[in-house]
Amino acid sequence: MADDRDAAPAVEVRDLTFRYPGAAQDSLHGVDLTIEAGDFVAVVGGNGSGKTTLCKTFNGLVPHFWNGDISGRVKVAGRSTARRTVGEIAHDVGYVFQDFGNQLVRPTVRDDVAFGPLNFGLADWEARTDAALRALEIDDVAGTHTWQLSGGQQHLTALAGALALAPSILVVDEPAAEVDPRRAAAVYEHLTRLNEQGVTVVVIEHHAELIARYARSVVLMDAGRVRWHLPVDEALARTADLAEAHIPAPQVVALAQELVPDVAAGRRRPPLTIEECAAMLRDAGRSEQPGAALLRAPDHPGADGSPAPGSTSGPPAGSDVVARLDGVRYGYRTISGGKHTVLDGFDLTLRAEERIALVGSNGAGKSTLLSLLSGLAVPEAGAVEVAGRDTRSVSAAQLSSQVCYLLQRPEEMFLTDSVRADVAMHPTGRRAPDARELVEQVLDRTRLTDLADRDGRLLSGGQQRRATLAVGLAMRPRLLLLDEPTSSLDLRSRDDVIDMLSALAEHIRCTVVATHDMHLVAEWADRVVVLDQGRVVADTDPATLFASPDVLRRARLVPPQVTQVGHALGMDPLPLSVAETTRRLAPLPTEELV
Amino acid sequence: MTIADVAAPHGTSPEVAPGTTGTRHRSGLDRVSVEWVKLELMRVAYATRGGFLARRDPRAVLGWYALCALAPWFTYSTPILVVLFVLALGCALAARIGPLLLGLFTLGLVGQAAYVLVLVLVLGGDTTALDGLLQISLKLGAVSLASMAAFVSLDPEKLSDGLQAMRAPAVLGFAISYGYRMVPLLIDEFHDIVDGHRLRGAPHQGHGFLGWRTIARIGRIAVQAFYPLFLNTAQRTRTTVEAMETRGFTSAGPSPAGRRLRLAYLQWRVGDTLLLVVSVAVVVAVYTVLPTP
Repeated sequence: MADDRDAAPAVEVRDLTFRYPGAAQDSLHGVDLTIEAGDFVAVVGGNGSGKTTLCKTFNGLVPHFWNGDISGRVKVAGRSTARRTVGEIAHDVGYVFQDFGNQLVRPTVRDDVAFGPLNFGLADWEARTDAALRALEIDDVAGTHTWQLSGGQQHLTALAGALALAPSILVVDEPAAEVDPRRAAAVYEHLTRLNEQGVTVVVIEHHAELIARYARSVVLMDAGRVRWHLPVDEALARTADLAEAHIPAPQVVALAQELVPDVAAGRRRPPLTIEECAAMLRDAGRSEQPGAALLRAPDHPGADGSPAPGSTSGPPAGSDVVARLDGVRYGYRTISGGKHTVLDGFDLTLRAEERIALVGSNGAGKSTLLSLLSGLAVPEAGAVEVAGRDTRSVSAAQLSSQVCYLLQRPEEMFLTDSVRADVAMHPTGRRAPDARELVEQVLDRTRLTDLADRDGRLLSGGQQRRATLAVGLAMRPRLLLLDEPTSSLDLRSRDDVIDMLSALAEHIRCTVVATHDMHLVAEWADRVVVLDQGRVVADTDPATLFASPDVLRRARLVPPQVTQVGHALGMDPLPLSVAETTRRLAPLPTEELV
Repeated sequence: MTIADVAAPHGTSPEVAPGTTGTRHRSGLDRVSVEWVKLELMRVAYATRGGFLARRDPRAVLGWYALCALAPWFTYSTPILVVLFVLALGCALAARIGPLLLGLFTLGLVGQAAYVLVLVLVLGGDTTALDGLLQISLKLGAVSLASMAAFVSLDPEKLSDGLQAMRAPAVLGFAISYGYRMVPLLIDEFHDIVDGHRLRGAPHQGHGFLGWRTIARIGRIAVQAFYPLFLNTAQRTRTTVEAMETRGFTSAGPSPAGRRLRLAYLQWRVGDTLLLVVSVAVVVAVYTVLPTP
């Protein structure tokens, strides 16, 4: 791949300043950076810090596609990008965009992977295509239409499309943004393998846990400058700098800093893996004190005072039932004319005051269940009852005063040209007498008053989620259904959404969230329903779920790091947050033991 | 869009007492029918049904289409047009155009003929007008059937490659295949947006005189749904344009070598020649054998 230019660094940026046309300030300012060939670099930084712009200078999109004001020099594989076209540079630099779905332009997987080699007229395009498909283990879906793929497979297809040109440098913008943790790990495993074969890998990443596990060095961007470029362990020890850039430390680092004095004082390198962290805590003499479980956070109702696992299995009074599915069967037709049954003989009861997380791998039936509960779909057999009414007997529009379904892609919820009008749509459409006050109140509660006149599509990811939540709140539902409310958010926005969901609990009788995000499950839910191939394989509280290895394996779930550390230390019940673990592992003040 | 559901009177009583399930009954067919239309469109777009034209070289299919689309325009003889129409219908069926297109076509043709007929009778036309009416309907029908047969049999790749092989600009070929790629996404998104309008918008107030309220509501939702649809698509294509640049597809299209490689799989076979020869022969025969006025 990199032949006679082996000695040259993969990327060399000198004093680079760039401003987008029409922008008021520089996106990059005096950037100096050297990325050695064969490195695995994570570029981190807050929103608007210039991460993506920097990476687009590597493949020449800046300045050839975005011709703004530029000064300075970028050399890729020893050659300046200034005099080469984007197409020429593409042979050295492969690029996978954050919204990779839009990078796929051809109908089938094989076609899309072959697109680059064919455009460049490479005679061995078939061999390259096959090699790229095999390298990422997607040769079994080569003939599939790209719109039929799951998010993870689409990402691998985009990656294969870049790999087919055999670049020596691969830039991947947020590989873990839209896929579940297992799939994110799979993408990173592939990147690691390519890296071992000599490809320089550059990723833009928010998840410190993935950086700790896979990257070799970290570049921190801040306001258009490179603040530092350090080996990964040194970089992750600088938690203050990372926190400023909204990259919360991995939970293992946070735990060690709370509980191991040497790490807190910076005398010792923080742990990067579960095993290291558990060993470090054991060495520091941190094990659970008897009776400490009683001090568990009361903010996890699943475990408050009644740590017995099965506490949700005893049904309370029937009047509390918000929704019930009884022997439900549902399926859809496939394009080849066959029929795919998603749910069959499915029973589930949702009660008031529950925060339910619906988890399971893609295709397990989560979205189907949500659309049945919303009344958009009605079952083929069996009955779905919401707020005491059979969904067959009322239209979905009538049901919308009781149930609100927030779609996974927020832009599909923005039907008008301002957030305020979207929020007001349901209350004014139903002529609610207090519509005006309600809208203002909801906007205020979701901290959107200042953004209320903008089009929802132009907001950042976190703001978009808040706006869809506001739309839901204004419908004043008894049952709120959310599909993946935290996907493709940076961690700060994600925590923001989780906090907001918790704060809204008093306004909604029952909330159901379909999610892959185990942090959301751990920190928010009090009941987890695990689906696998249309069946409930577990219906319990988060701590019990994370203590059931077969269920986790079957549903492809990865517990949060702090829970895994708790497991390694033999804690029972398993801890769900850093704060809880710290509390339980901290030495107990003597007076409380008396 | 779920016509059945939009059309259902929702305004009757939003506060149905719990447990009274007998007032209305949704069978779920409304939803199923939308799914069916969606799948049917996909089957049509991606030529999954096969048929006699699907096996042919795309250039031959395009040539066949040009012939069939032009043939009906050179005559005013009703018998010739009837025969051409029947032949086109036969080809469309043999190309397996599927029930959706056939149904829409029949509806369109019959509907148009009916209203023009009413117009003619009201305005005091005579039988010669009817003959003219029949002729134009037959011409349009034959051309429509041929179009359906040709494009149902060409999946987007074959169509764009066929055009490129005939030296059409590369951008045209790409636009076709990209357009087809976007169809399923747009259908899904349109569906979700319309659902959003149904759930969140003003509730249905009953059908009104001759259902005007229902028609107005469907029309309004359909128009309003385009605003988010267009903006979302525009946002999407920003990445697409950048990605195409990095993947070697500039405004000039792929390199000449790339074009050759892409089209290398196209092979003109005996069957393709046969198709064109037989078609020309049949058209010529129809014109010579049957009487002209």
